[in-house]
Amino acid sequence: MIRLDNVSVTYRLKGESVEALRNASLALDGGSFVAIMGPSGSGKTTLIQVIAGLLTPTAGNVIVSGQNLRQLDDRAISEFRNRTIGFVFQFFNLPSYYTALDNVALPLVFAGVSETERRERARALLDEFGLGDRAIHKPEQLSGGEAQRVAIARALINNPKIILADEPTGNLDRDTGFRVMALLQRINRERNVTVLLVTHDEKAAAFADRVLRIEKGALAASLPPPLSPPTIPVNQRNDRSSDSPVDLQERVS
Amino acid sequence: MIRRRDQIRLSVRKIGLRRKRAVFSIISVALGILVVVTVNSLVSGIRDLVIRTGFTEEIDKDVIRVTHTPRHYGDEESSSSRKRAQFLSDELLAEFCEWKEVEAAAPEIRIQPVNVEALAESPRAASHDYAMGAPEALICRYADARELAACEGVIPLVLGERFVKLRYHERTSKFELEDPARVQSWIGRDVTLRVGDPMGQLERFRYDYDKKQWLRLSEEEIAQRRKHIESYEGEFDKMIHNRLLTLKGRVVGFCPGTRLLMPEEPARLCAKWLKQRNDLARLRPVEPPAEYGPHGRRAPREGEFTRATVLLKAGTNPEPVVKRLKEMGFGATTRQNAFESFLKEVDTAMKIVKRIGYAFGGVLLLLACGLLWSTTSRIVSDSRADIGLFRALGATKGDVRRLFLTETVFLGALGTLVGIFLGWTAAYWISRLVLHIAAGEISDPEEMLMIPRSLFSVDWTRCALLLAGAAAVSLLAGLWPANRAANVDPVKALKRE
Ligand SMILES: Nc1ncnc2c1ncn2[C@@H]1O[C@H](COP(=O)(O)OP(=O)(O)OP(=O)(O)O)[C@@H](O)[C@H]1O
Ligand SMILES: [Mg+2]
Repeated sequence: MIRLDNVSVTYRLKGESVEALRNASLALDGGSFVAIMGPSGSGKTTLIQVIAGLLTPTAGNVIVSGQNLRQLDDRAISEFRNRTIGFVFQFFNLPSYYTALDNVALPLVFAGVSETERRERARALLDEFGLGDRAIHKPEQLSGGEAQRVAIARALINNPKIILADEPTGNLDRDTGFRVMALLQRINRERNVTVLLVTHDEKAAAFADRVLRIEKGALAASLPPPLSPPTIPVNQRNDRSSDSPVDLQERVS
Repeated sequence: MIRRRDQIRLSVRKIGLRRKRAVFSIISVALGILVVVTVNSLVSGIRDLVIRTGFTEEIDKDVIRVTHTPRHYGDEESSSSRKRAQFLSDELLAEFCEWKEVEAAAPEIRIQPVNVEALAESPRAASHDYAMGAPEALICRYADARELAACEGVIPLVLGERFVKLRYHERTSKFELEDPARVQSWIGRDVTLRVGDPMGQLERFRYDYDKKQWLRLSEEEIAQRRKHIESYEGEFDKMIHNRLLTLKGRVVGFCPGTRLLMPEEPARLCAKWLKQRNDLARLRPVEPPAEYGPHGRRAPREGEFTRATVLLKAGTNPEPVVKRLKEMGFGATTRQNAFESFLKEVDTAMKIVKRIGYAFGGVLLLLACGLLWSTTSRIVSDSRADIGLFRALGATKGDVRRLFLTETVFLGALGTLVGIFLGWTAAYWISRLVLHIAAGEISDPEEMLMIPRSLFSVDWTRCALLLAGAAAVSLLAGLWPANRAANVDPVKALKRE
């Protein structure tokens, strides 16, 4: 599903060069749930961007779902990102002028899907995530957890094969972070979507099947997480959706 | 591929980021377009107004008006190039008649003053102060053939149609078109012609510029005018000068303008009579004018004329004859070239107005172009994060480029629409103002009738062209910023400090 062959990314800045990735090789099967961990500046974001085709490596090949990204032109790579990849960001990246519903439907705009279908699909997904009553809210009216769930719904709307999440819990409190992790885990299991996420939290990483460590741009072999995933306390503050599938799921895992 | 509707919606969202700037861009585009549209929709109307009110059809069809100097209205040659003055004479006119294109030629004799009693009550009688001798053949063209043939012992007269085709209503102080049957009833009517009576010229009406009305003169005013005429009559012996020639005439047809055409022979006789009466009545001999000037003789002698009418055979091209006459050193004017040269003057003026308007509008549009450019640039800068996100979610470079191009084109087109609308509004009010002023300036009732209701005309093709042009210009203005947007590196744009 995802294969990196000796990928190197070198940034050159005024004569100085930074190797964000060195000779990174990786092979992930479809349906894996991998947490990437490493100290700050070790190249985690770079790795994510290389897999998404946002960044072309200085050397090596990236083959995602059978496509060598180096060989795709702008149109093809855009379509690849639109159909194969779902993005989740640390800071949610939800345009403030869009409602939750429109935010979720945004990738479908670039896919050229009609508005009625977009709305239908987005609404169905929001309902599934227990956010049906938040559909017409603007991002600033959502809690962090809700916003990240909206962002995950957006990543999922076009049925991607891979979800790439760069510190999706980085901007959330711990418990909310765990709930987001649980949601990603559920998506991974129920939909067989490959999830690749960056986190600094060992406990959050415990939701993943494997942990991939990276240090100074060099990848280590992936291992199962050392910890077992925590149980998630019911959060009364923001999440009124205690009957949502997320909550039903949480204790099971 | 983004659907067009979504693209426009996204563009509008982006415009919302810089509302103030967007409004300024729209206003500046609108201003430029406004000027262009205003000028454009008024020019043809004003030209029409000028032509309608500024030109009267004093020259008949197929007629060349010949003058003894080439300088005449509508002639471009200057008199300084001419060597010697030469007058028209019966011999020359006879020679003109030999030309194959020419039907008749006659001196143009003006008799002044002349009154037609039956016209005295018309406000227009005031400007009716001369009769003109014309070739018989010309009279024939205007005259009812039977009436003309029946004129025995009376002078056949062709009456300027402006005297009879409008009727003045004193109660409403307005002119209206006369009933055609009543106009027709003038044909065959016997009228009394009085030659040599300056008192007959006394006006009955005067035009009130404030009220824009013709008003009947009071007795007092008439007396005042009478006194004025008498003051210059003082040069003459009243016993002789008050002698008038009363002639019987019959209206046989109408000609354009405010003239009275009569055949050449009676006109010559009248003129001769008038000259002799005046010569006899003169108390102080007038000093004869200097006979020679720098170009030769100044005043015509017996049997010489300063003006003549050459009537061409119907449908002949007058140009070769005009050319020949000019080569001989005479001035020659036809209705066509008089009108054309007048038109040319008007058009030149209009062209200047247009050019100034378009240049001004062009400068404004250039400014607008700059504003559009900077607005789009700003919006692109503001949207970096969004562009990164869009690219990550699957927007192609082309999608992003089109997004911002749509945005500028939208602003440009909106500005153009607003400009066209405002331009029309402005043109409408200017038209009203101009017409108001024109109505105040014009005293001639026919001209009042001829003033159009509105000078405003809509040139749809030009509007379409303007819209297309503005779209093209804004496309151009948006090209650079849109390209910049397309080339935003999503990796950098997604980074958050
Ligand atoms: N555009 C760039 N130009 C130069 N150097 C860069 C650029 N982007 C990243 N780097 C460098 O590459 C290295 C890897 O960066 P990257 O963002 O992948 O780290 P990270 O593991 O995501 O760190 P963090 O946990 O802080 O997000 C860093 O040393 C960083 O300074
Ligand atoms: Mg990072």
